[in-house]
Amino acid sequence: MTMPQTETQPVKIASVGMDTLAATPSSAPEFREVVFGVDNLRVSYSGKPALKDVGMEVYKNAITAFIGPSGCGKSTFIRCFNRTNDLILGAKVEGQVLYHGQDLYAPDVDPVEVRKLIGMVFQKPNPFPKSIYDNVAFGPRVIGMKDSLNERVERALRHAALWDEVKDRLKDNAYGLSGGQQQRLCIARCLAVDPEVILMDEPCSALDPISTSAIEDLMHDLKCEYTIVIVTHNMQQAARVADMTAFFGVEVDDKGHRTGILIEYDTTQRIFTNPTDKRTEGYVTGRFG
Amino acid sequence: MRIELQEELDQLNAHLQEEGEYVLRALRGALNALRVGDAELADEVIAFDDEVDRRAAEIERQVELLIARQTPVATDLRQALAVLHINIHLERMADLCVNIAKISKTARAIHEGSPSVIEGFEEMGSRAEEMTRTALDSFAHRDLGAAESLVALDELIDNGNRRVVGQLAALEGDQHTREWALLMIVVSRCLERIGDNAVDIGEQTAYLVTGDFREFEDASHPSADR
Repeated sequence: MTMPQTETQPVKIASVGMDTLAATPSSAPEFREVVFGVDNLRVSYSGKPALKDVGMEVYKNAITAFIGPSGCGKSTFIRCFNRTNDLILGAKVEGQVLYHGQDLYAPDVDPVEVRKLIGMVFQKPNPFPKSIYDNVAFGPRVIGMKDSLNERVERALRHAALWDEVKDRLKDNAYGLSGGQQQRLCIARCLAVDPEVILMDEPCSALDPISTSAIEDLMHDLKCEYTIVIVTHNMQQAARVADMTAFFGVEVDDKGHRTGILIEYDTTQRIFTNPTDKRTEGYVTGRFG
Repeated sequence: MRIELQEELDQLNAHLQEEGEYVLRALRGALNALRVGDAELADEVIAFDDEVDRRAAEIERQVELLIARQTPVATDLRQALAVLHINIHLERMADLCVNIAKISKTARAIHEGSPSVIEGFEEMGSRAEEMTRTALDSFAHRDLGAAESLVALDELIDNGNRRVVGQLAALEGDQHTREWALLMIVVSRCLERIGDNAVDIGEQTAYLVTGDFREFEDASHPSADR
């Protein structure tokens, strides 16, 4: 199967083929292009369930934030969007993740192709021990995007709001950059292969407030061209940057097994001013017991 | 969890209720000063307004600090914002009491008064007190039903206002009588406005409880769905 091009026609939310959604936003726009349609998703590690019964839609050119306490499965969930859970031994993903209506987990889908279209930025900046230029050029070179490489690198660095700071030292080692610059370099590295979606797993947790602010500004600029999904421990960050927010919680069974569940998914405005579920209210107000 | 935030919110609520008690005292004082023509009591009501203003400013500062330091969201945020609004309404209600107190001093000097009009003010005053009390209680107890009942109570005070204005318009007499009648129309209007502010406080209770702000009464859309 070939992954669809990024320029797709808008589809009705209902057209992703799901009978029911575990969490349908009460106040989301009625008509907006759906990038991901998730239905009845379950993830387990070595047979132990980590996340169950998740259903939601992720919208194009929006920032969607996942919040929740530790162990609620939000990082597990974000990894399902570009099949990085496949790389974890014993991980099993069941249910459906549709990307523009096509099953990401169908047997004929190439995970490498998936990760090209759906890039990921991690908690700690993880540049390669190479020059700034080579870090950004690495992805395009690997997948054979060799034409106009200089322009591609410059464009990615500009999009990541890093070009002006590094244009005179592209051959310097990336480790010489500050933490915030390294994280923007990782974003540039992700952008260099023309993804449609950027997944960010706690991208600011290792950064100081100024660098965090720079990344948040960048996310705001990037959402015009990309769809962004972010996992964050910082609720105020979700409140500041996200259009949609999903709150995940933990369900504990009789035997003490803890499984992540999606509790509420709605516009960020709704989640932070008048959430529907008492558990969401308890968490966002800091009264989660 | 979030003990400090909860303590600060509780403290804000307590201070708001105290401010409300001050407004009720000012209202009772102003009405008594008007009824018996007690200039000394009127001066007390006027001076007392500084205390209400001081408390209102303190509540405003507390809300500002709470938002800056505790970044409240959801119900907590709505509570902080509702306190801020109610604080302004209470401060205005106290100002209206001052207006009545000031007028009572002037009015006594020009006319001995009309018993039926003063009686009408007593009734309106009792309504205004009841509404203020209901508004404060509805907020303290998150009582949506009590908050919505303010609309019906407001109708009664509005009727009182119309009756008093009718009586004043029918008064016969010299220029002093007409001047006195004009002042009494302002008093009637002040009492009616106190009722309106109580309804506004009820709207803040509804906002806190439901998460959506809506006006109970809208003069431009009187038939709007309640």
